[in-house]
Amino acid sequence: MSVHPLEMRSVTKRFGFFTAVRDLSLTVPQGSIVGFLGPNGAGKSTSLRMSLGVLSPDEGQVRLFGGAPDIDTLKRVGFLPEERGLYKKMSPRAIISYFARLKGMSASDSRKRADELLEVMGLGNFGRSRISKLSKGMAQKVQILSALAHRPDFLILDEPFSGLDPVNQQGLEDMIIEEHKRGATILFSTHVMEHAERLCDSIVMMARGRKVFDGTLDQAFGALGRAALIGVEDGYDLNAAISPKGFTENELAGDHWRVSLPAQYDAQDALRAAIEAGAPITSFRPEEARLRDVFVSLVSEAEAEDLEKTLATRKATEAA
Amino acid sequence: MRSIYLVARRDYLGYVQAWGFWLGLLLTPILMGVGMMAPTWAANSQPTRYYTVIEQGTEFADALRAELQEDRIALVRMTLDPVGVLNGEPSDKLLAFDDAIDAGSTVEAALEAAGGAQVSLPQADFVAVAPPATDEDSIRPYLMGERLVETSEGPQPLFAAIFVPEDNGEIEYWSENVTSRTLLDQVRAAERKITERKVFEAAGVSPRILNEAEKQRRDITERRARPASSDSGSQVTMADRAPFIASVFMAFLLWFLIFSVVNYLLMGTIEERSNKIFDSLLTSVKLPHMLAGKLLAVLAVALTLMMVWAIGGSVIGTALSGQMPADIRESMFSVAGAVLKPSLLMPAILSFVLGYLMYGAVFLALGSLCDTIQEAQTLMTPLIVMLMVPMFMIVVAISDPESPILSVMSWIPVFTPFLLILRVPTHPPLWEVIGLLVLMVVAALVVLWLASRVYRAGAVHGAGVGDVGKWFSKMLPGKKGETG
Repeated sequence: MSVHPLEMRSVTKRFGFFTAVRDLSLTVPQGSIVGFLGPNGAGKSTSLRMSLGVLSPDEGQVRLFGGAPDIDTLKRVGFLPEERGLYKKMSPRAIISYFARLKGMSASDSRKRADELLEVMGLGNFGRSRISKLSKGMAQKVQILSALAHRPDFLILDEPFSGLDPVNQQGLEDMIIEEHKRGATILFSTHVMEHAERLCDSIVMMARGRKVFDGTLDQAFGALGRAALIGVEDGYDLNAAISPKGFTENELAGDHWRVSLPAQYDAQDALRAAIEAGAPITSFRPEEARLRDVFVSLVSEAEAEDLEKTLATRKATEAA
Repeated sequence: MRSIYLVARRDYLGYVQAWGFWLGLLLTPILMGVGMMAPTWAANSQPTRYYTVIEQGTEFADALRAELQEDRIALVRMTLDPVGVLNGEPSDKLLAFDDAIDAGSTVEAALEAAGGAQVSLPQADFVAVAPPATDEDSIRPYLMGERLVETSEGPQPLFAAIFVPEDNGEIEYWSENVTSRTLLDQVRAAERKITERKVFEAAGVSPRILNEAEKQRRDITERRARPASSDSGSQVTMADRAPFIASVFMAFLLWFLIFSVVNYLLMGTIEERSNKIFDSLLTSVKLPHMLAGKLLAVLAVALTLMMVWAIGGSVIGTALSGQMPADIRESMFSVAGAVLKPSLLMPAILSFVLGYLMYGAVFLALGSLCDTIQEAQTLMTPLIVMLMVPMFMIVVAISDPESPILSVMSWIPVFTPFLLILRVPTHPPLWEVIGLLVLMVVAALVVLWLASRVYRAGAVHGAGVGDVGKWFSKMLPGKKGETG
């Protein structure tokens, strides 16, 4: 049985009275690309720092390649931190080579690898310039390269796309796919759902320090529910017309009705029911679920739950 | 070990490639040289000042000239034979000079008699001129620069006029310069000498008898029970003084090292914090290895500086050794020999390493809490004040290495590295030396432990200057540490 690159079991991390991560369990299987999603302050970076041993959990357990995170296992990991930073007076070549050597590469291999990566990323002409002379985007590319120069088995990227223009974002996506093809397992956090949709085998969503979803993209879309969007002439009550046919959860959303699909029906069944009811139909399309909608829905749900809990606690305190 | 080497190598190359390093490398010896030569230059650059004595006869003017000449005599004696002057064992050259002076020669003539061709005689600070007028009102324009007096350098302003009345009335010293007291002090000294002579003469004692008494004074030989060299018997020689000079030199070197190069640690860590490099580093290298690498890098920078200066000094010293008097050369070898003696060298090296580790770790920790140099200065001030104490102690050790204050303060861990070096030549009891070494080791370990905790707080948790107080209240053992 192969060992998972990362397993977190019931991990909790507090900073004083603030609980940054609460009871988080997740597994990153060998060879997968896992997206780590969540709004600001959801606990993503804290979780990633715990996975690397930079922070220790207050409760629970972190296993990196089956053991506690230590410098030896971290040699198999490439990490891009959320807070970007490089030695400003060093050259890209020297920095990439330095971090690769710290991860165990020889001096000559690390320099060759740095030259090769800089060439691929279009920075070949800047290999010996000072970092302070490069643009922010270029410096960020150098940092990404220094995270993967030693050909790690597991790449952890914290918000890798932030600060990059669309062209460079595409370049990074390609690079992640290349690394995955090479055999690397990848865990990355992001705010940009499109990247997760395009790249991930599975996603983990966080909100307010808690995991609100963990599964494949299909499962995520399933969590949101399916629907058909049917437009009718003004004033026509589609809900009243199709409720008797088994479509009971319908809501008016602007110029169309959003008809929720029960498990046994699909969008065509909803259209058929509307036609049979004699509805004056002006438009029809099945709803295309987006990860963004799933994200907003799950995060809102979690925040609403938290709000309810906070109110309940406050009431209980006041009553006492 | 590889990661320690890599961190140290990167930091070292970063430091030595900075222009500040080269500036320090070149400017430090230049500024030290300037500092050492400044008093001489200042003395030589001071223009000759002209004074006049208004009196009947030349008694006071002669006495004043003799007083002023004494300073020049002392300077020439020191230049002719410094070791002889300090040891009270004058060379033939110095004896010839002294004899000529006693015989009433001028400094220039006495120097000629001593054959001191290598000595460039400093110009006289004060030169007497004939009175341009004899009453106060007439002399005032000369003092105010409105009129000039004739001198060998051409017309010059008059610096001072001394009116000596015939009777026992007050001597008046007139000058527009109220800050320079040198001539006034010499006027007072001259008057004291004249008065003494008159009193002795009144008692029937002639100046010749007084001079004779001075010459018959017996020499005092300094001896010690535990001489440094068996060649000289119990007599105190340069070999006896050399360990004290060497220890002061080494204590100053440690102080200078800490004061100047550990700033690199502070600045380097601030750069890493402000550039947000900590997370990348901490996932690549263990925290203790990272700290060790950083401390090693700055130590290497310090050793590079010292090595370059030592080589430079040796080259200059070798080039000049031909012109150096043999006794001075021997004295320098004597001090160098004392530095290399294991009894001084071993405690000094240990103090050096432990002192550097202790202060270096503190500066590293402080740097990890600061985003800017301004923030660092807030935390640095108490440290700098504390670092001034050993400097004062070095001054105490120069005059009295066995001072009780040195013994007591050497037991304060932050001062131990400096003061142990200073105390070693006084042969403190073995238990005390061992005790101080153990104290230093323990103190260095405690400081390293505390510093690594502060460093982690700054690097991992982003603690800042404002958190220092809160952190100290929580730093007692018991709280779960982070990995790494």
